[in-house]
Amino acid sequence: MIQTLEQVLQGVLDRLQHHITTYVPSLVAALIIMTGAWIVAVLARWLIHRIVKGLSIDKFLRQSGVAYMIDRSGRLRATNVVAETAYWGILVGGVLAGLSVFNTDLTTQIIQGFVFLLPKLFMAGLILLAGMWLGQFIGRSTLVWAVNEGLPSPRRIAAAVRVIIMFVAVVVAADHINFARNIFLAAFIILVGGAVLGASLAFGVGAGNSVRRYLDDRRESHDDKTPEPSLWSHL
Amino acid sequence: MKYFLPPEAQRAVESIRRADLVVGIPSYNNAQTIGHVVRAAYAGLNKYFPQLSGVVINSDGGSKDNTREAVLSTHVDDNHLLMLSTPMLPVNRLSFPYHGIPGKGSAFRMIFQMAKELNAKAVAVVDSDLRSITPEWIDLLLRPIALAGYDFVAPYYHRHKYDGTITNSIVYPTIRTLYGTRIRQPIGGEFGVSAPLIARYLERDDWETDVARFGIDIWMTTIAVAEGFRVCQSFLGAKLHDAKDPGSDLSAMLQQVVGSVFQLMQQYAGVWRGRKGSQPAELFGFRFDVGLDPIAVNLDRMTQVFKKGSAELGELWEMALQRQTLQELRAVSHAVCNEGKPLHFDDDLWARIVLDFACAVRKHPVAQGQLIRSLTPLYIGRVASFVQDTRDMVSDQVEQKIEELCLCFENLKPYLIRQWDGLPQLAGVSAGATNTQMAGESARMEVN
Repeated sequence: MIQTLEQVLQGVLDRLQHHITTYVPSLVAALIIMTGAWIVAVLARWLIHRIVKGLSIDKFLRQSGVAYMIDRSGRLRATNVVAETAYWGILVGGVLAGLSVFNTDLTTQIIQGFVFLLPKLFMAGLILLAGMWLGQFIGRSTLVWAVNEGLPSPRRIAAAVRVIIMFVAVVVAADHINFARNIFLAAFIILVGGAVLGASLAFGVGAGNSVRRYLDDRRESHDDKTPEPSLWSHL
Repeated sequence: MKYFLPPEAQRAVESIRRADLVVGIPSYNNAQTIGHVVRAAYAGLNKYFPQLSGVVINSDGGSKDNTREAVLSTHVDDNHLLMLSTPMLPVNRLSFPYHGIPGKGSAFRMIFQMAKELNAKAVAVVDSDLRSITPEWIDLLLRPIALAGYDFVAPYYHRHKYDGTITNSIVYPTIRTLYGTRIRQPIGGEFGVSAPLIARYLERDDWETDVARFGIDIWMTTIAVAEGFRVCQSFLGAKLHDAKDPGSDLSAMLQQVVGSVFQLMQQYAGVWRGRKGSQPAELFGFRFDVGLDPIAVNLDRMTQVFKKGSAELGELWEMALQRQTLQELRAVSHAVCNEGKPLHFDDDLWARIVLDFACAVRKHPVAQGQLIRSLTPLYIGRVASFVQDTRDMVSDQVEQKIEELCLCFENLKPYLIRQWDGLPQLAGVSAGATNTQMAGESARMEVN
């Protein structure tokens, strides 16, 4: 009985020793790598702050409207963006390198997934950013145009344009990372098709008389050949 | 980029070889009026410059109403002109379609290129829809150049108090403040230009921007005043011309004219920063009063446009305007929209709005078009305010009012320069305050 107990305890201790000798060095190595990565990341951030400050990226971001889009106060600095990107990039790289020390199926899968997905995620992020910028730019142009043309609800028209462009960007980004591709595509088709159908029905049902009146007025004014004087002709 | 004449124009130049004077007439579907303009140009050259050779060149933008045929077939009878001497050389008449971007600027480019190749001493350009042009206009536009050594002659007209409001409220005050020369009609449409200035225009590479359209007039004037060419004005009487196309887009026109002013402002920043105050440009011609066509304005609709702009365009105005300007604009908007008060922009606020927009366009070049188009409701609001303020005024009083606005712009030049340089504004900025503060700063600098 005692002998059996001794054997069991011995087995536990052996396994514990085995685990300690197997995993603790890896854990320590992983921690060292991660700490090293953190130190490098902090150093890189500091260095980039010093180097990029002199470049004209800030000016480009301000003039292109990207700075204003992300930060409404317009105070976004490229230096911070680049430095933070480098910091987090190195930190994530360090964590992945640390995990790779364990050399297990799980860690290998995580690393592989990340390595394959990261460029795609980066591209998807860029697509979304471009969509945001384009949506804001075209939305603003639409707003100004609608106001100057005296259209009703200019802000709603501009918002609709922004939403459509952003939605297209989301669909493209999702397609790029292969995430719920069919769902987004179906949603997009349903939304656009629905909008066109709705607009057609609304126009047909609600605006039929207005269109008829408009066409009659046009025909009459053509017959009269006396165009209405422009409000702005003197300006 | 070198400009090549269309083959038929090149052949005509080679055939004529030389002309002392050129009168250029850009056109597009002006068959009804261009005959009168051609007759006036022809008579002007024969009557006032009989000893010099002249050419009348029509540069057409592809008219579909036989404008070119009207130019070439117009009958000119010298017998009734009471010539002082018999013309020694014939006046040629040419008409060609120009190539490139449709617009007045492209038409001018062909005229200038032909004038250069003909070694012309002076060129006058006149619009093709003028109803009030007389042969004297040609004399007044060409003589200061041909005989008095000037390089650029700007027109000076009598206009109705509500006519030319882009000129009165934006372009004239801005150009005068920036470049220090008082040219009352910087975008008048009729100009006289010397050979050296034409050479300078042709060597520039910005012909295919907004300059090709409505921007050409301000472009020509700005280059002349900014680059130190000798500039004067000629009094032409009243300008009566065909009504503009009712469908023409005001905000597009505003964008082209104001956009050109702001664009050139960036190019010539080194010039205007150093210029202080303003000097009148020499004015030639015999001044007389003329009757003017009445102009109807719809104040209610203008106020509605301003109200709509205020309600919807805050996002863009926030981008363009300084905090204090924005606050004051919001106060104006609040008074009109919520308290039902009549629309009133004081001169100081309007001047700061224009100058803020100029700086914003430089700061946000990508959004330049949007920013300038968003100025449209503000501009219409300012015109409405001006109409109300000058309702009972006669022409001279209105002119005095415009002069006050110009002084306001001039007083705000230090404000403009600080903003241009990205420096924070001094507290309590207004035209008067800026002057006082600047005087204080100068005094401190002198003490130091």
